[in-house]
Amino acid sequence: MLYESMSFLYYLNPEKYKLRKWREDNHRNSEQIVDVGEELINEHASKLGDDIWIIYEQVMIAALDCSRDDLAWTCLQELKKQFPGSQRVKRLAGMRLEALEKYEDASKQYDSILQDDPTNTAARKRKISILKAQGKSAEAIRELNEYLEQFVGDQEAWHELSELYINEHDYGKAAFCLEELMMTNPHNHLYCEQYAEVKYTQGGLENLELSRKYFAQALKLNNGNMRALFGLYMSASHIAASPKVNATVKKANVKYAAWATNQINRAYQLAGRGTKENKCSVKAVEEMLESMQITMS
Amino acid sequence: MAPELLLDSNIRLWVVLPIVFITFLVGVIRHYVSILLQSDKKLTLEQVSDSQVLIRSRILRENGKYIPKQSFLMRKFYFNNQEDGFLKNTKRKVVPPSPMTDPSMLTDMMKGNVTNVLPMILIGGWINWTFSGFVTTKVPFPLTLRFKPMLQQGIELLSLDASWVSSASWYFLNVFGLRSMYSLILGQDNGADQSRIMQEQMSGAAIAMPADTNKAFKAEWEALELTDHQWALEGVEEELMSRELDLDGMFSKELPTGIF
Repeated sequence: MLYESMSFLYYLNPEKYKLRKWREDNHRNSEQIVDVGEELINEHASKLGDDIWIIYEQVMIAALDCSRDDLAWTCLQELKKQFPGSQRVKRLAGMRLEALEKYEDASKQYDSILQDDPTNTAARKRKISILKAQGKSAEAIRELNEYLEQFVGDQEAWHELSELYINEHDYGKAAFCLEELMMTNPHNHLYCEQYAEVKYTQGGLENLELSRKYFAQALKLNNGNMRALFGLYMSASHIAASPKVNATVKKANVKYAAWATNQINRAYQLAGRGTKENKCSVKAVEEMLESMQITMS
Repeated sequence: MAPELLLDSNIRLWVVLPIVFITFLVGVIRHYVSILLQSDKKLTLEQVSDSQVLIRSRILRENGKYIPKQSFLMRKFYFNNQEDGFLKNTKRKVVPPSPMTDPSMLTDMMKGNVTNVLPMILIGGWINWTFSGFVTTKVPFPLTLRFKPMLQQGIELLSLDASWVSSASWYFLNVFGLRSMYSLILGQDNGADQSRIMQEQMSGAAIAMPADTNKAFKAEWEALELTDHQWALEGVEEELMSRELDLDGMFSKELPTGIF
């Protein structure tokens, strides 16, 4: 039903349909949005009806990304006229202040939103982004932790926190955040892969084993995840090369690494079929794998 | 079995179609009225926070098998620990919102009744009074005689097949049938969707009981105590390597261009 109504809209106005798709998929293609949106607003404003308000919001955020302060200001004024007391508009005003680097004023703006409505998550998250933009990562981490104590279900926040911890090289805590994400999205191969990478970076035999398992899980969820395939090869090789493992474990890991090598070669063969550079790249991959391979006794 | 009745085609023009229009228009009006009468539900920070904690605990129970055993145990300990486990020790002030004492719930109930049940009864009765004395349509499946007094309101014929129904039943058929039309015209969450509202009323009584946070915590605690960790990744390498990777469609000629 929804698909039919959407395709019906496409014929009426393809730009509007494009903007809506970008909005729903959460794309951040700001330059395109500004191009399409500006044209829509300037020329077809009457045809848009009530959709124009959400388009103003979308275009305004994109304009802030592209430093188009003039466009952002016009959109904000229109929204303020239409929705005078709205908290959503206040948040947009705050974002504009952030873009102009007036962090104090932006912070005050968000505080006023939070006074009216303590459950407003958007304002809190903007305050944390201000701290991040100012480079105060320790404070940002602290604030984000407090936020997450209240709103344990906010996945975007968990992901942001894991990124902040990775930047601070606190891999244990980053792994914790990624575990939360893996539990809420068990079928997302990217979280598995990122978790495996964090575990690999942490190092140590146990973590390497875990990382190998999670690389394998990411591959199972998405056979095309090349990064996970390489990760599987690396972690298996490392475990096999470690002096602390017994013979069975070593043998198993050598087998895993060999399988991974096969798959990598296959992938590069498939990728380059029909092109002249194919032979060179396949050879390059084979050489690379051989140089990384640790000879087993 | 029963002989086919030939209905006057005027019935089709002046009864069947008007009832459809009336039902549809009343539904649209109900939708806009419900938007006007909407009241904001203000939730406290604590309520939001608690509901999210309960969701997290449930997710831990259901999907805990995807994280390593150590992590699972760490979280289970955090929730269920004897001394300072969250679920064990957090007590909230319980204020049971019975419909009589809590004014906002009372007004909500009244609004719900006024916008939905009342028009249905009124219009159903009016249609019954206006379009009475004749059969309107025939339902395509045979019915027993038990349905006769219900579906053939104004007609006093004993020998008439129960499949022939009066206009009142055509009206009720429309009320439920036009639901999909409403979602096409008014978009998904529309206020004219009667059956959805009735479903919500039935399940709302079970779900939206904020006073039961303590009970909810206790129930979660028990459920979490019982959960064990069955690591889903035990044999993942073997499963993965039992066959070749499916690399079809990964490398096509055209790569999607960057969008920013």
